[in-house]
Order: sequence, then structure tokens, then C-alpha cells
Amino acid sequence: MSENTRTIKNAVCTFCGCVCDDMELTVDLDEHRITKAKNACILGRSWFSEHVIEDRPIAAIGGKEVSFEEAVEESAQILTKAKFPIIYGLSEASVEAQREAVAIADYMRGSIDSTSSVCHGPTGMAFQGVGESTTTLGEVKNRADLVIFWGCNPAEAHPRLFTRYAVTTKGMFIPRGKKDRTVVLVDPRKTASAPVANIHIRPKPATDFEMIWALRALIKGKKVNASIEKVTGVPLETLQDLAERMKNCNFGVVFFGMGLTMGRGRYFNTGALFSMVTDLNEYTHFVVKPARGHGNVTGADQVLTWQTGYPFGVNFNLGYPRFNPGEFTAVDNLARDGADAAMFIASDPASNFPKAAVEQMKRIPVISLDTRRSVTSELAYVVFSTSAWGLNEHGTAYRMDDIPITLRPAFESPYPSDVVILSAIKNRVFELNIDKRSIGMSARSDIGKATLHASM
Amino acid sequence: MSLTLSLHTSPEVPVEADVISPDRLNNLNESALSALPVFHGNVQAKIGDFFKVQGQYNGEIRVEGDLSKVKHIGAGMTSGRLIVNGDVGAHLGAGMQGGKIIVDGNVADWAASEMTGGRIIIKGNAGHMLGSSIRGSATGITGGEIIVHGNARNEAGQAMRNGLIVIGGNSEDLTGVNMLSGTIIVLGKMGIRTGAGMKRGTILSMHDADLLSTFTYACTYHPTYLRLYLTYIKKLGFQIDDAKLSGNYERWAGDSIELNRGEILLYRN
Repeated sequence: MSENTRTIKNAVCTFCGCVCDDMELTVDLDEHRITKAKNACILGRSWFSEHVIEDRPIAAIGGKEVSFEEAVEESAQILTKAKFPIIYGLSEASVEAQREAVAIADYMRGSIDSTSSVCHGPTGMAFQGVGESTTTLGEVKNRADLVIFWGCNPAEAHPRLFTRYAVTTKGMFIPRGKKDRTVVLVDPRKTASAPVANIHIRPKPATDFEMIWALRALIKGKKVNASIEKVTGVPLETLQDLAERMKNCNFGVVFFGMGLTMGRGRYFNTGALFSMVTDLNEYTHFVVKPARGHGNVTGADQVLTWQTGYPFGVNFNLGYPRFNPGEFTAVDNLARDGADAAMFIASDPASNFPKAAVEQMKRIPVISLDTRRSVTSELAYVVFSTSAWGLNEHGTAYRMDDIPITLRPAFESPYPSDVVILSAIKNRVFELNIDKRSIGMSARSDIGKATLHASM
Repeated sequence: MSLTLSLHTSPEVPVEADVISPDRLNNLNESALSALPVFHGNVQAKIGDFFKVQGQYNGEIRVEGDLSKVKHIGAGMTSGRLIVNGDVGAHLGAGMQGGKIIVDGNVADWAASEMTGGRIIIKGNAGHMLGSSIRGSATGITGGEIIVHGNARNEAGQAMRNGLIVIGGNSEDLTGVNMLSGTIIVLGKMGIRTGAGMKRGTILSMHDADLLSTFTYACTYHPTYLRLYLTYIKKLGFQIDDAKLSGNYERWAGDSIELNRGEILLYRN
């Protein structure tokens, strides 16, 4: 380690949805890496220490190093020529990069989707279908005396959610921290989060909907069939106790994760939970928050909603945005509909998408923007190496409670940022599309009518 | 001779062809029909790029070929007959108001979503969201008949307000979820969470089902009107034996979280 170091206070960790903004980073300016991250959790420490400047070309086409300009031109040509292109990823990019990506999707008339669609997408659909009683993490810290974690495991996925916001931290009306809170964990498994919980309810896997439905009935004072214990594995008395605790707390909050969103029933699970929280507001103040995974996946939802009206799974084929998860989400577009070009931004779908979708990726031109090598960048035709957002670049990230946080970069990178690359591609796609779209505009206004009705 | 559209070139990516509807193809000759616009992905194309057009519309359209990537066929149609030979893509007959669609094949998701009238007969299987609402909308179908001879997947009849859905095979989860009114008849088995959040309406199955804890057993009886319904669908080509026409059914009332005025009827003996 050299002596040429710099300390950055109040830096931001963009690893998970907590987006903790109290980091104190020590940066080795000669070696271009972070040597110490004070206040960071175990995940944050490895996030900071693992980011080093790799020796990769700024851009490559077909495995051959090319100039930045050539790669931008090739990408724009691919996206413009495609009939059904998709953009996917976005969750580890800044808000500024995400908005450029939405503009590209709009100009190229393709689909845009974030990692939400394989994560908290059902949450976004429940927002639309049921509505959300929301809050900020600051309110949770200062007021929440009943904290429920449903199908999530913060001890391993969001370690500082406990200490900084929701459990052990002391707040304005919670002077003794954890002693003043009741913590409930709902999870079939005894996870690392279990020791924190005062009450651990362990339903049978994939019976969340039945359990929430029974709780809703109990909250409303309706009769619940005793068969609920056989179905969920949870005795009726336990559910009655939980319902009473929820109705009688001062400020309750439910954090939930993919145990709920990706279980059988998906958006009906989240919708049921949101409805339960709405029901509880007849009796007390109760809120619900998804425990979001990636650093700026919340931002991806925010930017897409702000620009298109919908949080993910948006399609611009007809020139205006349409929303339909299951039809316009990345997995469906690849595996079923034969998307003919794809741009993956700061994500690695080739490592986790279903086989049929990955097979399609191998058949079509793929553009990859990533800070490091990945399975996706290995199969991509055009590969951009980017600087790391938050570590090398300014920008904005949204915390899981929809609070925007300004990033404070630690050291400079020789690679361009996502924003610079996407902005260059956007400008070129725009120019190319003026030529492509100059005919047939009058007929377009006619064709959409019945479809518009069907998609409203 | 009726109008026939035969697929000669399979689309590489989805084609949105809501023009394939009696309302849009009426009074046009073959060349005018071939020139009608469809969207091939994000590119505007013509019907003639994919279909060979023959004949003149006389109240009936035949569409032939593997149409699994052709979406929105018959969307919003108000009258006439549309006969499809082959599997067909999403949104078949979406927002349909009248007329008849007969499919000799399987249909993808969102078939007959938000239809208000008319009849769709599907001889194969249906996908998810059969006769459901569109994302963000509170109400599914408000009228008409959807007759499926095969199976249906999740959320058949989601948020339906009126009309009849008959599924000859099995349905998967959440059949009749958030239903407001209307009738769903499943001759096979249903998945879990049937009728969750239903306010009114009837869901009938000839098999036992795992019901939510918010449904309560009322009685076992023979609903008089059921004979009328079952006789009617028997005429449509479904196998229904006499025991079911005159048999007894368990009545379960729910969903108690909502109005509790819905009913699930399960054939007993």
C-alpha cells in the first residue's frame, strides 16, 4: 500500500438497496483501489475492496479491441436495424444512465425492462393493482414498534437494515432501540435473521397467500376456517396473536423480500400483503416496504415510471409506452418472442435467465455494458467496459424507500461511465431513426386504435 | 366464397394484427386487404407480407397457419365469424363486443380479455389470463361467452363482471380471482386459491377443490338453474352425464374478506 491516500467522508455504498451514505473510505490513489471502508457491513466491505481497475479494452466487437466511436456506431446500427430489440438490466447504474437507456428504448421502439422483472416485479404490479401504504426508513427508525420481516433475510442480504434503520437503532419515539420494538420474522427456514426476531413464524413454503388471507379475515373480525393450520402449518392461535399485535401497535411496518414475490402466486402474494396493510390502517398506522436488492433497482422503477408511466416491462413497438409483464418482460421477449437484439446494462442475465432465453441471447447480437467480465459479456458481440458507478462516477441512486441519494465517487477510472456510453448511443440511434421512421406515420396513427384500447 | 388468410411467411418476431377482424376487412377487395397495415415488431408491414389473401368477405373470415406469434386477432370485433385454424398468439378477441371466434388450436395468454359480448370457442387449450382484465384495469369481461374445450392456465375469469366461461378441462390457480359477478364452469379440476377476493358470482367444478379459509360451507343441494346451464353447454359439445344434471352440489360461500356473496359449487353425488 502506498502512502498516497485520500479519505472520503459520507461516501455512499451502492451494493444493496440500503444505499448507506455514511461510509468513510480510504483510497490508495496510486493503486486505484479502496483500502478501508469504515462503517461498511461485510457486503459493503467486499463491494469496495473488490473494485479494482481491470486491464480490459474500453470497447470490443466480436472479441477484437475497437475504438469507443466504432463500438458506439455498431451498437446504434444493431439497435436500429432490429425489429424487436430489448434493453435489460439497469439496477446497478445511476439514475442518469437509466434515463438515457429509456430514451434509447423510445427511439429504437423496443422493450425496456429492469431486473425488477425477476425480483420485485410483482411488487410493482401490486402497487398498481392495490396501492402502497408507504414510508421512509427514517420513520421506521423513529417510530416503528412492530417490525415484520416477511420472506426476506436482512441479516445476510441487507445487514445494516437492522442496525441503521429498523431493529437495534434508537429513534425519537423508540428510545431503547430493540427493547421497544417487537420483531416478527415470517420464513419457513431458520435463517441468519432468526436470532433477531422475538417471534418466528414458520409457514409451509409457498403458503404465504393463504396465511395473509387468513390474517386479513382475522383483522376484519371474520371467521377463519380451522383448516388453515393444515394448509399453512401455522396454528390459528398464532395468527390471531399476530393479528392482535398488528392492530394494537403504534406504528407497524412489514419488510418483504423474494420469498413472497417469487413464491407461487407472485403479485397476488404482494397484493394480498398490501391489502392487509391497507386494512390495518383502519386501526393503527401501518406501512409496507419491499426490501430491494440491488443498489439502484428502486431508481430503475422510479425512472421508468417517471418517463413512461410504468415501472418495468415497457414496450415502445408502436411508438408509445405499453406495460404488460408476461408479454414485454425480458425473459418472455427472449425465450418466446425471439427478440432480435439485446443491450444489457450493468447486469448479467446470461448467468441467471432460463435456458431458452440464454439460447436466444447466443443467436442474436448482444451489447453489454459492465464494469467487469461476466457470463453475459463473454457471449456479447459488442462489449463496453465501464467505470464503476458510485465508486468512480457522480450520480444519483434511490434507496429502497424511494429516497434519492447523491453519490460521492472515490477514485477515477480510465473507462467511460454508463452515462457517457449510453448518451453517445442514444444520439446516434436518434439520427439513424429519423431516416428509418420518415415514412408511414399517418398509417401508424390508425393502426394503434384497437390495440390501444386493448392495452389500456 | 368466404375470405381466407393463409400464413405464407412465419413472422420472426410478434406481429400485431388487430386488423384481422370482420369490422376491418369488410368491403375490401384482395389487393386492398393485402395492403392493410400490421406491425411486425416495431416495423410497419402489410397483411400481404405474411398472409395470402383469397376471396371476399361474406360474413366469415378464415385464418390458417401457425399464428402463435400473431397477436390481437379479432380484437374489438363487433360482428361476423372469424375461424382460426392453428395455434394463435396473445390477446385473441381482446375487447370483443360481438360476433363469434372459433379456434381449432391453442390460444396464448389474455384471450378474450375485457370482452363485452359475442362468443369465443377454443377447441384446444387457453393460456393465462383467459377472459381477464388488462393490467391496471379493475374489471375483466362484462359479457359474452368463452368456451374452452381444453385446459386453461392461471387467473381464468379474473375480475369478471358478467358473462359465462366454460372450461372443459382443468384450470390452474386463481380461477375467478376478484370476480364481481358472472359464471365460471370448470368440468375438470381447479388449482388453488379459487375465487380469492370474489364479491359475487358462481364458480362450479365437477371435482373437489382446496378452498381458502375465508370460504364457508353452506349446504349441499341441487341448484335449479344449474340444469339449464349444463343442458346448454352439453349442446355445445361437452360430455355431461345425467348424474351431474340432477346431482347435488356443495355450496361454499365467500370470499368473507369481501362481500361474501360469491359461491363455489362442487359436485358431490
